[in-house]
Amino acid sequence: MTEVMTLLRFLEIVAGGVIAGIIGSVTGLGGGSVLVPILTLFYGVPIIFATGASLISTIATSAGSAGTYTKKKIANVKIGVGLEVATTLGAIVGSLLVTVVYKYALEWVLYLLFGIVILTSIVPTINRGKYEGTRVVKPDFTSRIFQLHGKYYDQKQKKTIEYIGIRWWLGEIIMFFAGMLSGLLGIGSGALKVLGMDWAMNLPMKVTTTTSNFMIGITAATSSSIYWYNGFIQFYLAAATAIGVLIGAIIGSKILLRISNKDVRWVFFAILSYLGVEMALEGLKKGTFINIPGTERFYIALTISAILILSLYVIFRIGERNGQKQ
Amino acid sequence: MDKNNEDLTRVISITLRAAVIISMFFIVAGAALIMIKGGGDGHTISEISSYNYNSNTTLRSNLVPLSNLPAGIFHLDGIYFIALGLWVLIFTPVIVLISAVVDFVVSKNYLYVLLSAIVLTNLVVAIFYIGPYLHLTS
Repeated sequence: MTEVMTLLRFLEIVAGGVIAGIIGSVTGLGGGSVLVPILTLFYGVPIIFATGASLISTIATSAGSAGTYTKKKIANVKIGVGLEVATTLGAIVGSLLVTVVYKYALEWVLYLLFGIVILTSIVPTINRGKYEGTRVVKPDFTSRIFQLHGKYYDQKQKKTIEYIGIRWWLGEIIMFFAGMLSGLLGIGSGALKVLGMDWAMNLPMKVTTTTSNFMIGITAATSSSIYWYNGFIQFYLAAATAIGVLIGAIIGSKILLRISNKDVRWVFFAILSYLGVEMALEGLKKGTFINIPGTERFYIALTISAILILSLYVIFRIGERNGQKQ
Repeated sequence: MDKNNEDLTRVISITLRAAVIISMFFIVAGAALIMIKGGGDGHTISEISSYNYNSNTTLRSNLVPLSNLPAGIFHLDGIYFIALGLWVLIFTPVIVLISAVVDFVVSKNYLYVLLSAIVLTNLVVAIFYIGPYLHLTS
């Protein structure tokens, strides 16, 4: 009997992983950022095990999707490896910080930080690709030294696109923090990587997405061993979520190809903002700053995230329309 | 140089996909073995599926000695199947980086030989030294 129950619970966690994988890949935020809130808020998993499981599924999805992307030769392995110098260092710092967090029972900090990271990730994720192909920049000295150039074949535009990256040093600084967050929260921190490569280094979106996908596996593996020996990885959870998130990410990438209506993505952003607000509230509750009963908190979180996402929607859609008129 | 970069990309792509398939095989097989045998490595199925952080019996990664891995696999122990699957994932980036270092050496791109060697060092130090060291001190 226990076997049947365990199997059902296992499948339940796999299902949670599938949902996280779908939302993560459709929004471009990555499975881990959605998995940890789902596990902690709805399955009652301690955040320590949730982040451990998320780290493992991050490596799995990175390897699973990077395999396909690198094959299409869009990901720039050279730029990726160069930036990994900073992310791996950041990951070591982050995962060592986590050991301190648990030693002094400061879990609430992680919840709060997680909420903030999700909420602040939404804007850059929505904004992605807005400037694609519009900014022509002059190469600087780092472009030459670090060979920040490349080309890929764009299937939609049916032409080869050549690009040049700039400000390598700024990319490295941002990547250090991306790595640190990855080690702290067990996520790929895709939004910060986007900031580092899209905004700081001026690389095309397709290149940054695929290169970042290739990178997060290396970053997550750096933290994994430290998590492992600290006992932050729970086998049963890690196994179920790795399978689930990988399946979800595959489904998500298929959905993404079929979405032509941009509004559909907003449904996923709305879910994301709800999860972000809930995580932040959970952090405040665990840090005993607030004490709101369950149902009330649900409505408060729902209201805050609804206001947030509606105002973002209005701002961005009006912005887009004005952009089209010009 | 571009030619080499393409070879590197192909090697990495094949490595990554092979690693995912191998690790998923071991993870799924491990989960199935645990269900069939009703446990693994002397832990009951309820200890394995518990995620109570404060309980001493909850099966966490630091309670599974990696030195028992070969014997565990040989005895078809589900726990060690999952452990192997997880470590295949953790090791994959090491293989990817080694192939990157080799490729940059072949194409005589010494700046990137240095950079990829630094990344490999960070990774190896984190995996083989910092983690086990923490284990000893705790």
